[in-house]
Amino acid sequence: MSSTTIATPNATSNAPTGRTGTIILPPPAWVDGDTSLQQITNDIVRPMEARPGKGWWICFSLAFAAFLNLGGMVTYLIANGIGVWGLNNSVGWAFDITNFVFWIGIGHAGTLISAILLLFRQQWRTSINRSAEAMTIFAVMCAGLFPAIHMGRPWDIFFMFPYPNQRGPLWVNFRSPLVWDVFAITTYLTISLAFWYLGMIPDLATMRDRVTNRIRKFVFRVLSFGWNGSQRTWARYEVVSLVLAGLATPLVLSVHSIVSMDFATSLVPGWHTTIFPPYFVAGAIYSGFGMVLTLLILTRQTMHLERFITMRHLNMMAKVTMLTGMIVSYAYLTEFFGAWYGGNLYERYHFINRATGPYAWCFYLMVLCNVITPQVLWSKRIRGSVAALFVVSILVNIGMWFERFVIIVVSLHRAFLPSGWGMFYPTLIDVGVLVGAFGMFFTFFLLFIRFLPMIAIWEIKGVAQQQAHTLAVSAPDQTSAARA
Amino acid sequence: MTPSTRAEGACKNRKEELVQIGQPDPRAYWKSLEQLHGGQKPSAEFAKGLPSAAVTRTDDTRRDFLSLMGFTVAAAGLAACRAPVQQAIPMLVGSDQIVPGVSSWYATTCGGCPSSCSLLVKQRDGRPIKIEGNDRSVLFGGGTCATGQATVLSLYDGERLRGPAWKGQSADWRQIDRHVSESLAAAERSNREIVLLSGTITSPSMLEIVTDWSKRYSNFRHVVYDAISLSAMRAANEKSFGRKLIPHYWFDKARVIVGIEADFLGTWLSPVEFARQYAASRKPENGSSLHVQFEPGLSVTGSNADVRVPVAPSNLGAVAVALLRRIAQKAGMAGFPEGPEPLADSKKLDAVSEELWRHRGASLVVSGVQDESVQVVVNALNAFLGNIGKTVDTARPSLQRSGDDAAMAELVERMNRGEVHTLMLHGVNPGYDYADAGRFLQGLEKVTLSISFSDRRDETSSHAHVICPDHHFLEAWGDAEPVESHFSLAQPLIAPLFNTRAAQESLLMWLGNDTSHYSYLRSFWQKNMFPHQKEAASFDAFWDRSLQDGVVDFPAKSAAPAASFHGDWRAAASGIIDRQKQQPASREDSYELHLYESVAMRDGRSANNPWLLELPDPITKVTWANFAAVSPQLAQRLSLSNGDVIALKTENARAELPVFIQPGQENRTIALAVGYGRKQVGKAGNNVGQNVYPLAQVSNGFRRLSALNIALEKTGRRVDLAGTQTHFSMEGRPIALETTLADLSKESAAGEEHKATPTLWTEQPQGEHSWGMSIDMNACTGCSACVIACQAENNVPVVGKDQVQRVRIMHWIRIDHYYRGSEDNPVSLHQPMMCQHCGHAPCETVCPVLATTTSSEGINQQVYNRCVGTRYCANNCPYKVRRFNWYNYTENPKFDFNMNSPLGRLVLNPDVVVRTRGVMEKCSLCVQRIQLAKNIALQGKRELVDGDIKSACQQSCPTQAIAFGDLKDPNSRVSQLMKSQRYYQVLEELGTRPNVGYLKKVRGSAVI
Repeated sequence: MSSTTIATPNATSNAPTGRTGTIILPPPAWVDGDTSLQQITNDIVRPMEARPGKGWWICFSLAFAAFLNLGGMVTYLIANGIGVWGLNNSVGWAFDITNFVFWIGIGHAGTLISAILLLFRQQWRTSINRSAEAMTIFAVMCAGLFPAIHMGRPWDIFFMFPYPNQRGPLWVNFRSPLVWDVFAITTYLTISLAFWYLGMIPDLATMRDRVTNRIRKFVFRVLSFGWNGSQRTWARYEVVSLVLAGLATPLVLSVHSIVSMDFATSLVPGWHTTIFPPYFVAGAIYSGFGMVLTLLILTRQTMHLERFITMRHLNMMAKVTMLTGMIVSYAYLTEFFGAWYGGNLYERYHFINRATGPYAWCFYLMVLCNVITPQVLWSKRIRGSVAALFVVSILVNIGMWFERFVIIVVSLHRAFLPSGWGMFYPTLIDVGVLVGAFGMFFTFFLLFIRFLPMIAIWEIKGVAQQQAHTLAVSAPDQTSAARA
Repeated sequence: MTPSTRAEGACKNRKEELVQIGQPDPRAYWKSLEQLHGGQKPSAEFAKGLPSAAVTRTDDTRRDFLSLMGFTVAAAGLAACRAPVQQAIPMLVGSDQIVPGVSSWYATTCGGCPSSCSLLVKQRDGRPIKIEGNDRSVLFGGGTCATGQATVLSLYDGERLRGPAWKGQSADWRQIDRHVSESLAAAERSNREIVLLSGTITSPSMLEIVTDWSKRYSNFRHVVYDAISLSAMRAANEKSFGRKLIPHYWFDKARVIVGIEADFLGTWLSPVEFARQYAASRKPENGSSLHVQFEPGLSVTGSNADVRVPVAPSNLGAVAVALLRRIAQKAGMAGFPEGPEPLADSKKLDAVSEELWRHRGASLVVSGVQDESVQVVVNALNAFLGNIGKTVDTARPSLQRSGDDAAMAELVERMNRGEVHTLMLHGVNPGYDYADAGRFLQGLEKVTLSISFSDRRDETSSHAHVICPDHHFLEAWGDAEPVESHFSLAQPLIAPLFNTRAAQESLLMWLGNDTSHYSYLRSFWQKNMFPHQKEAASFDAFWDRSLQDGVVDFPAKSAAPAASFHGDWRAAASGIIDRQKQQPASREDSYELHLYESVAMRDGRSANNPWLLELPDPITKVTWANFAAVSPQLAQRLSLSNGDVIALKTENARAELPVFIQPGQENRTIALAVGYGRKQVGKAGNNVGQNVYPLAQVSNGFRRLSALNIALEKTGRRVDLAGTQTHFSMEGRPIALETTLADLSKESAAGEEHKATPTLWTEQPQGEHSWGMSIDMNACTGCSACVIACQAENNVPVVGKDQVQRVRIMHWIRIDHYYRGSEDNPVSLHQPMMCQHCGHAPCETVCPVLATTTSSEGINQQVYNRCVGTRYCANNCPYKVRRFNWYNYTENPKFDFNMNSPLGRLVLNPDVVVRTRGVMEKCSLCVQRIQLAKNIALQGKRELVDGDIKSACQQSCPTQAIAFGDLKDPNSRVSQLMKSQRYYQVLEELGTRPNVGYLKKVRGSAVI
């Protein structure tokens, strides 16, 4: 994203250009309409202060029902054994790990938006980073569920952690990518949570100052750590943000690289390939942006935040989606090329089987969603249409789920010895857990937009129309927002 | 007296007081009242350390066997009665024969089928838990079959009757004896017959009891009925050799073997013995023999043949005739009836007869066709080839099948005419397996007193007046003579679990002879066996030695063979040709039926054995059902796919079965396995598959396992078959490799030796031993005995049809079956596959919790306690041999097989842990056996020697295809085999460094 992109929206109206050729950049403006800073605060906190609308309640009841269903399914699963899933001795992982990789991937967009875009000074991130980060945390929570429940004996999950024990030199196997996963995911969740929470502190202070209910006031007071909005506070705050962004940035690349090593370090044809780490990272960002688009379009429409999540935001996200989608497509192509060029009998069979075998429909669905769908985003008209973007984002989500399904199940179901081949058919419990994880995710997300400021109030004020600042003559710097 | 001495004296006095009550030292604390009172000191017995498995067979531990057998085994058995008791109560006064945790081995004889193989049975804490072959048997040589391995589970079958029953009500033995004696007295007074209807009895002592009966009752008759009988062969041999016999075959002496529908490696007559002989004749090192098989459906035997020709059942006789015509010409016999050529490719028969003729006297033609003429023709073939007395032994015939179809048919008629007063049923179930079961049961109604010795209420015994349940053979005394003058003894391994009584004892009782069966057996042996031997001076010594060895061989009774061949082969041949001509030209929509015994179910007597129900068929890999095998061509023509249910109709029977498309199946023939579809056998086996016995056609009084003019119609229904392997092509991958004799000799000239792929990792293992295994695919016939042996040894659970369909079978060893070539008649390959115990195991690197590691002795070991069940190891295992416990398969009513009942769990091996749900398991190379052998060696203060350790699969293998041993010992058998030109490792290019290797299959010379 170049600076010209930022300048574009207001170039006609606000930017005075001298004939000498010096371009005077207008202040960044990512909030539509002439709004006072006060109004911005009011608009953003409205969902938290008013009773939720009918739309929210419908969404919440659906999501919560699915969440409860997840609870039932997991209880049933743990009570009976994972035989209730459709897994078998040929296909040892299917929906469980597909869901795990899918949710971990989703999370990556949040971290990318909040950390990398912060470092790159992409100011359009300000209206979406808070919800994207929340999405990351909820997605990682969903993801973390699966490695736990996919185990045969989930009550022994503590064996996976290298805790001091009295079992002699018994330690975890540091050669196993699953152990790397444990570290990667716990680190990721910790950093994401810290980053998200830290980013919210000024807004929590705003809430503290606004609410009248004593209990809520108390909660916000505790949560906002006694934020006073002083110059020194802000200076330290900015530094900590940058440091955390710096810490989170490598995670965008490392977490999914490590997840991809679950597959890449094995010797299963279709898994055993060096392209996986970058391929998975691109896929993660692609799917994450797909999910961010879905969520933001939904909240934008239902919560009437069009002014803050503008078409220009959607346009930017669509472009990222398209780019990462094309990287993913390129990776698909490379895999096939490698299988052909490598001349490995098993690898070659795997890719022929992927495209012609019993699960070929999954593969073609994946190609449709991940290769063909992003291509429509070349069209400015589609990038400008909320409905079209919504459809695209859903297709991206479906496509990326199937990508993981294809990688996991299609590779396993016909591996080396044909005598060991077997088909995987999902059971109701498989589907129930899949749906339930979505329920859990949306339950948390809906609670989040109801109880926490879903747009960073203090940050968005920095990119509001210039007029907003002139209106707030008494406090032209953005720090006043927190006090307002 | 100084104060000190006085004190001493006082002390002494006190000491004396204590001594009076038995305490030797006043300062010592007494531990128990026994000790206090000078009782026993149990620790002195084990002064040299705790004892390990007492192998009672070894000469140095042999004791006076009179005391062993007369008292202690009975005591051991009695002690074992405690086993079904739920609470574990330690024995206060233990038997000196049972050391807790130490197994003993007893020789006995298998009762799984009339082949009567000699066994060694492992008894642990008073209960038999594992069956192994007795390697002292010259006939069977230590091998077993799947059915034999599984018989130990039938002992603990909860469906067995707990005691005798009189007219459906449980009764006590005295009551029954009184009723029966009264009835027999009435029978004697009446003009009606007393009949014992039994299966083949190989026990000479029991036959003596039968003789006693015929002496006692003039109206007594003994009818022998086999569900799968060879009575046509016996009849033909009477015409050919003047004696109703079944010859004993020597496949190992044959250089050319021609089978005409006889699955002698899988089910026919004595498969363990034949497989052993066959493997000996097929050793590539000695130049393998040539095996040609003509058969309708693909059998285990056909899958091993060098040349296999699919032939319709109606055409098998013509093939025999065509062969005989060629041989007769070569032998200069004139007057052979003319007839059409049975095969489109007559050159094949030319070549086969050429080979047969070239190996005169060292060839063998066997046929399982239940047709007198065909058998006469086969006899003529063997006679003209000079095989009689060489590969076909009529001097010492086999006694393993003596059923007589005609006598049975006559009996059924007589029963229906009301001429039978008392019918005793022993080891038969005609209500299920007789061709016309309805007619038999009708006749049974008219019998005044019917007595069944069946162990359960089955299709026949539930209609009988009295059920006098016989012991399981592991609870009973007995003997057997499977081949003339080869004897095998049977002894009880456990006191009867239930209130059962040996059938022999009942028969003796009703004769008025109140000696026990045991003493009858002993006196029979004293009278008939003891005089024939010279080594033992006293009968007791002879008896003890015989029981220990399990087998006794005597020279043939008559030195002279049966008369030379004098059958009317011309008439037999022209009879076959005429029949062929009379056959209506086969219509497009009529088919032939071929019924066969499956390796797992055989004739259906073990149909409630969950191990056997879940044993994958060696050819189709289908479990838990029988099916209609159709050829790929037929399936295409009728657009049938696997699982489509078709209805098959003969004149008087109909059966509906799911289709299985079987490559190599004859095009117009549909093959069905008998032994399934039992209605009253028990909860595991009831209604599994369909009973197809009623479809068998009876011709000339013999029940043929085939039928002509079958109508086939589609029902439109579908049934999913539970197969453990669904893809039978290797997809061009180098997995199960083969070579030819010619290539082998070329390669040995080159002297190429197997080299391991280079690696960057440290060499494994680093310990004293390196356990490895070598599997000879040339010797492996696919018989699947190892699968059940492993299941019994390692407590592998049965999971049921649904779980098998979900690809969740738990077997640690499987036998992969691959086809090569055209689907009309492909070449088969059997490859036993289990954990390969990789030196650099892919499963180990990925396990997050180190639950699977390589031991210092090269075993890839699974630590169940540590396993959390991520299944990553199974995903990363290129051999797909890891098995996950998807559920609790023990004490779970959803898996209501043997491991759900306290009785069924008695079969579990205490040396192997029962796995809980959520953990991975797999082949352990029988690590418990390795440990045991090490302990024994340690206690004997000697080194382990090659052969001390035998894995369960290896022990059971009748062809010795599996070798196990220390790869670090350059002289061990497995190390020697590793140097073989045929040695390779599956998927070794992955760098897994397996400790299990394979010897390539060798294809015979391509003369045909």
